[in-house]
Amino acid sequence: MTNIFQPISAEIIKTIDETPNIRTFVLRPEQEVPFLAGQFIELTMPGFGEAPFTPSSSHFNRDLIEMTIMKVGRATGALFNFKVGDKVGIRGPYGARYPLEKFEGRDIYIVGGGVGLAPLRALFLALTHEIDKYGRVFLRYGARTPADIVYKYLIPEWEKLKKVDIDLSVDVSDEKWMKKVGVVTCLMDEIPCNEAESIAVVCGPPIMMKFVTMKLLEAGFQGQNIYLSMETNMSCGLGQCGHCKLGPYFTCKDGPVLTWDQVKGIPDPFV
Amino acid sequence: MKPRIIPGKELNGFIKGLMERAELYAPKERDTSPFPANPASDENPPALDAAEHSAGTPPVNGNREVSQFFRDTTEFRHITDPAQVNLDHLNTKLPLKELFLPRREVMFTFDTDTPERVEPVEAVAAERIVLGARPCDAAALEMFDRVFLDEATPDPYYRARREKTTIIGLACNEPGPACFCTAVGGSPHGSAALDLLLVDSGDRYLARPMTAKGEALVAHLPEATAPDIEKAAGLEQEARAAMKFTSDTAALQEKLKAGFDHKAWDEIALPCVNCGVCTYVCPTCHCFDVTDEESHGRGARIRTWDSCQFSLFTRHASGHNPRPTGRDRLRNRMMHKFRYFPAVHGTVLCVGCGRCIVECPSGIDLRETLTTLQEELE
Repeated sequence: MTNIFQPISAEIIKTIDETPNIRTFVLRPEQEVPFLAGQFIELTMPGFGEAPFTPSSSHFNRDLIEMTIMKVGRATGALFNFKVGDKVGIRGPYGARYPLEKFEGRDIYIVGGGVGLAPLRALFLALTHEIDKYGRVFLRYGARTPADIVYKYLIPEWEKLKKVDIDLSVDVSDEKWMKKVGVVTCLMDEIPCNEAESIAVVCGPPIMMKFVTMKLLEAGFQGQNIYLSMETNMSCGLGQCGHCKLGPYFTCKDGPVLTWDQVKGIPDPFV
Repeated sequence: MKPRIIPGKELNGFIKGLMERAELYAPKERDTSPFPANPASDENPPALDAAEHSAGTPPVNGNREVSQFFRDTTEFRHITDPAQVNLDHLNTKLPLKELFLPRREVMFTFDTDTPERVEPVEAVAAERIVLGARPCDAAALEMFDRVFLDEATPDPYYRARREKTTIIGLACNEPGPACFCTAVGGSPHGSAALDLLLVDSGDRYLARPMTAKGEALVAHLPEATAPDIEKAAGLEQEARAAMKFTSDTAALQEKLKAGFDHKAWDEIALPCVNCGVCTYVCPTCHCFDVTDEESHGRGARIRTWDSCQFSLFTRHASGHNPRPTGRDRLRNRMMHKFRYFPAVHGTVLCVGCGRCIVECPSGIDLRETLTTLQEELE
């Protein structure tokens, strides 16, 4: 049998510096990794260990996998020293995908914060690839400063896509910034879709997720329609090692995307 | 399957027979003192001149008192001589789980120049027989099976070890002062996950096979008689009666649902220093960590036991920690064992071996914790 813990090899074929501490790695795996939007993989930095990341590229194009990663800890610190041509390892995919069949015919309201836009991009690309199946796609994205916005070079292209509506905010602006200033919830005072029917998808830092969820519930979104990226310290990906325990769930297996209805029974799930 | 009899108190012949069939693992005295009481073996080289100092350690036989359990220093080890087998103890220091999920294991290795070419490591090569597993430790393996033998993603290392191991249990006639298996659905003569159960009935052993693998080990022995079986049943009743602690785990599961923020947790967690020893000695705690080690051009992926009692266990790379305090982590351990695991798998994640009670440096007694929760939570 195949060893579930054994990674396959992937070559770094390109890197894109998104912000001073966020970089996109474009990988060519030696065989196709059959991920679907919402699922994650364990990335091996040989000699440094593994860490979980969600692909940020479309699952309709799996020859290459892109992952947008913030340099923050030991493993990502090591990864940022890897160059084009270096090999990393991939095992997975793990976790539950976004149930796209439940999204069909509905408006989808996506809210991202910081590097949290990375996994949402995989969803955004999957939705826009078959946009006729869905209603409108709203993307609300907040970053600390204009320099901290990821995919700056892609957002203007996305804005041209049909049925797509994008708005951005930054916590702290510079002299060139023409859009809103404030945390991402400042973009949510008017929600231009039918809240009771629409799907909301949220990914960002825990505190941002908390306030966005409160705002969504206030606006009338249904708990079963609010999809939250509840990534904890996932390690094995199989619900065995225990690190990612969140209430009754192992986020690596039952999540990482869980609905508000699934997590609302956990006292302060965003702590 | 017919129960058999191993006549006499002498297990030597039986043990020799097992050793001819497979690699034998059984409780073996561990030399933790600087004055080894045991003759040196390959695994126990003498730190000092053994002959000179061997008088220092008292014999561990005799009446079982609380201190007996503290002195138990046996571990499941590879047996090369029948005399090494020590079944005269309450239980091993570390649970049977270390034969199936080792404290540290190499999952695969690689050259650091070509990390994409990993060299797999075989979990276990030869057939193994375990002798002397206590029913609680064996029952814990059934819980491990639910975690590691998930249909979609079975753990290859664990599965190989389970498949290649025959387990012979040893029923408990004299439970220790910290034992409470009956309160969590177990029995001192329980047969869960066992292939064969031995019951010490004074002048003989009753050998009760549960599987074909177990039956093959005793097929050559005389059949047990009705009085033999009756006597064993009596011993089980006596052993059960010796354990006074009871707990309504089903009711507790319900109470825990509403009791997340109850003040009782403060009281329970106050003495806890989050050392994690309860998790390491627990036969049902299955958490582990996976890391890479590298040295002189060679790398290895290592799996080690990990503990939910450490703050690093849940800390995100960002520094955010979902369970920043010791109280959060103790509560999570209790919730996992008595609320979440039963909700998913239908059984509490505890077999009542009592090791956490014996080893806790702060004197936390799980039985008291369960009682406090039962009484204070609504």
